[in-house]
Amino acid sequence: MQEVRKGPLAGIRVCDFSWVWAGPYCTLQLAHLGAEVIRIESTKRICVTRLLPPWAEDRRDPNAAGYFNQYNQGKRSILIDLSRPEGAQLAKRLVAVSDVVVENFAKGVIERWGLGYEELKKVKPDIIMISMSGYGQSGPQSHYISYGPAQVPMAGFSTLTGYRHWDRPMHLGLSYGDPNAGLHAAFAILVALWHRHHTGEGQYIDMSQWESTIALLGDAILAQQMNGRQPPRLGNRDPMMAPHGFFRCRPAEPGTLPEGMLLEDRWISIACRTDEEWAALCQVMGRPELAQDPRFATLEARKANEDELERIVEEWTIQQDPFEATKKLQEAGVAAFPPLCNKELAEDPHLAARGYYVEKEHPVVGVRRHLGIPWRMSETPCEVWRAAPVMGQDNEYVFRTLLGLSQEEVNRLREMRVIA
Amino acid sequence: MAGPLSNLRVIECGNLVSAAYAAKLMADMGAEVIKVEEPTGDLSRLWGPFPGDEPHPEKSGLYLYLNCNKKGITLDLLKPKAQEVLRRLAAQADVLIHNYHPRQMAQRGLDYAVLSQVNPRLVMVSISPFGQNGPHSGYKGYDINVMAAGGWAWINGWPGHPNEPPLKAYGYQTEYQAGVTAALTAMAALWARLRIGKGQHVDVSGQEVVASMLEMTYTYWPYMGMVAVRWGERPIHPVDFFECRDGWIFVLCVEEHQWQNFVELLGNPEWARWDVFANRLLRAQNYDVLRPLLAEEVRKWTVEELYRAASERRIPFAPASTMGDLLRSEHLRARGFFVTISHPVAGTYEYAGAPYKFSATPWELRSPAPTLGQHNREVLGGYLGLSDEEIDSVTK
Repeated sequence: MQEVRKGPLAGIRVCDFSWVWAGPYCTLQLAHLGAEVIRIESTKRICVTRLLPPWAEDRRDPNAAGYFNQYNQGKRSILIDLSRPEGAQLAKRLVAVSDVVVENFAKGVIERWGLGYEELKKVKPDIIMISMSGYGQSGPQSHYISYGPAQVPMAGFSTLTGYRHWDRPMHLGLSYGDPNAGLHAAFAILVALWHRHHTGEGQYIDMSQWESTIALLGDAILAQQMNGRQPPRLGNRDPMMAPHGFFRCRPAEPGTLPEGMLLEDRWISIACRTDEEWAALCQVMGRPELAQDPRFATLEARKANEDELERIVEEWTIQQDPFEATKKLQEAGVAAFPPLCNKELAEDPHLAARGYYVEKEHPVVGVRRHLGIPWRMSETPCEVWRAAPVMGQDNEYVFRTLLGLSQEEVNRLREMRVIA
Repeated sequence: MAGPLSNLRVIECGNLVSAAYAAKLMADMGAEVIKVEEPTGDLSRLWGPFPGDEPHPEKSGLYLYLNCNKKGITLDLLKPKAQEVLRRLAAQADVLIHNYHPRQMAQRGLDYAVLSQVNPRLVMVSISPFGQNGPHSGYKGYDINVMAAGGWAWINGWPGHPNEPPLKAYGYQTEYQAGVTAALTAMAALWARLRIGKGQHVDVSGQEVVASMLEMTYTYWPYMGMVAVRWGERPIHPVDFFECRDGWIFVLCVEEHQWQNFVELLGNPEWARWDVFANRLLRAQNYDVLRPLLAEEVRKWTVEELYRAASERRIPFAPASTMGDLLRSEHLRARGFFVTISHPVAGTYEYAGAPYKFSATPWELRSPAPTLGQHNREVLGGYLGLSDEEIDSVTK
């Protein structure tokens, strides 16, 4: 397939040893920005995201996995068995023609294959390499392994987040440490590229997913020191806004929701920071007198009477459709939006108008609506040039065209099962 | 030594987290960041936490954390003269990052159409809840609304509790993610500038940033026509919090060998051999039986004992850390994660440090967050040659 390479990172090549989610989320950003990202996969060690649901129509095919196909758009895939010396040798040849190496194995794995930074520097002195392990490359726990879901409690989110009336740790609904580490890593790589441009010097970046997740809780770290305790679980409330939360809306009509959804499970988020926003909400609720009510006239008063405040707001929302109420509130200048489910996210007219969705033909699953690039650039537009690859889709291009292997060499490596 | 971005000047304007975190990431790598606050100060100065719970604009933990390494100036951007000052600052800058509403910047003559005339090499990054165009671009959105619009809130709750509302994450997390994205795209636009010779405008949508990180839940719709719900049961187990003698631990067995190692650690209880727990899918189907059995075992341990014993067997458990646990962590200490900073008004605290360690160009904390208007004279007088009188007329 002829590649149309656009975007600000056109001309940058990324040798992507990463797998699961944090590393691939990093290289997804680089692919979105126009870098050529080549994922090195292996049939011996298939990426977990190819082995988890959902699969297209539940066909359990690693090339039909939605999870993989969402986070590997616009990347290439080749198959090399890195545990074989010939495989590691081949990977080094790819590193020699790359700018960036990304990996997120547990500490020590990539070194065991002879592909650590010190080795790679020999074949490409100005290479930029980032390792994104759970605990980082140094420290007494650096040999511990870490999975995405564990980062949320480990960094402290589980003791800070939660319903106010529940006295127990909570998760976040996703392995938040992974995409967060991926984004931070992508930024770090661009900083290192900037440095390389000005000095000619490459470098190694040791990223601890734990630390990059704690970086999101800098205020809570200070709270502990200032007052000897951490911030309490506020549920959906906010120290600086009221009302602030999810309010229950009118149940949906039977037959209007997809299977698996509950008619009563309809909500709207509403947040008022200023007294003007609160007054506007009162107007829309048809209760303008509440804006002057001393119980609610100031933020301080609303915080002091928040239970009653929330009861009053919900008295109104329970009669409303969440989408219609959003329209009314936004027109009045009140921040509001329904919590979208995945179906609603796939059918959002605003996202469609912004061209956020990506619908590219995939060799196995055909055209699916994927979520695209969360930014727009005016001079170097970014575009997903291709759907996620099937395993080894780019063997021919990488081994023959890019690395210049002869057909005989390719055949020999294939017979040896070094490549697939 | 000077950081890798020390050849860049960044202007930051707006409120709360997203623009401030983007600029912090760049400041920590050496960029000179000029933070522009309204005369009343960034809203994060009101947020806290505060020592002794007493609000003070120079002692808000959120502000202190997000604004280290920056110069702080105030500008009353409602005044045309102050708008002109910002345009002159932009003329000398490489990057301007802001999170004002799309309409506000245009009303003030500070949109990209104007700023690119003043400085064609300027990279301008606009962060907003819904992006710069499209039918919802005029909508307002605070963190909770963006978490809702991006599909995250819908899936954050607890299995088996359909009556609880969608749940917000602690802190302004959608703003942090929009902030990292803004810093990333600013660097990408600077990289492009090396080639094309000019700057550009970057539009970062909070809703899209959040929607882009929903793990596998989004694709259940286009791939299987299924709606993911926050109260749905987990497909594999154990993936759950359990109470130890002294706190909570997150028990996570994804692979079969991890479960086997865990069972061994528990002393091979007889029930672990029951057929109903033979694999991760069966353990999920029979979790109502498994959970109380596991709870009884886990209760015999302290968090630290079980976490260490499991980790040494390569089972990826995690403590449900408190902030105190993190501050006491030997591992984080050994890596030098926390950094001590003295602020002239707020005092001395340990701050969360670098999210990454660069071998050649270290991340560093050079200065505490600025007090309100601390660098007005240095920046407006020194860089633009404004007289004290002129400075007073635009900064108050």
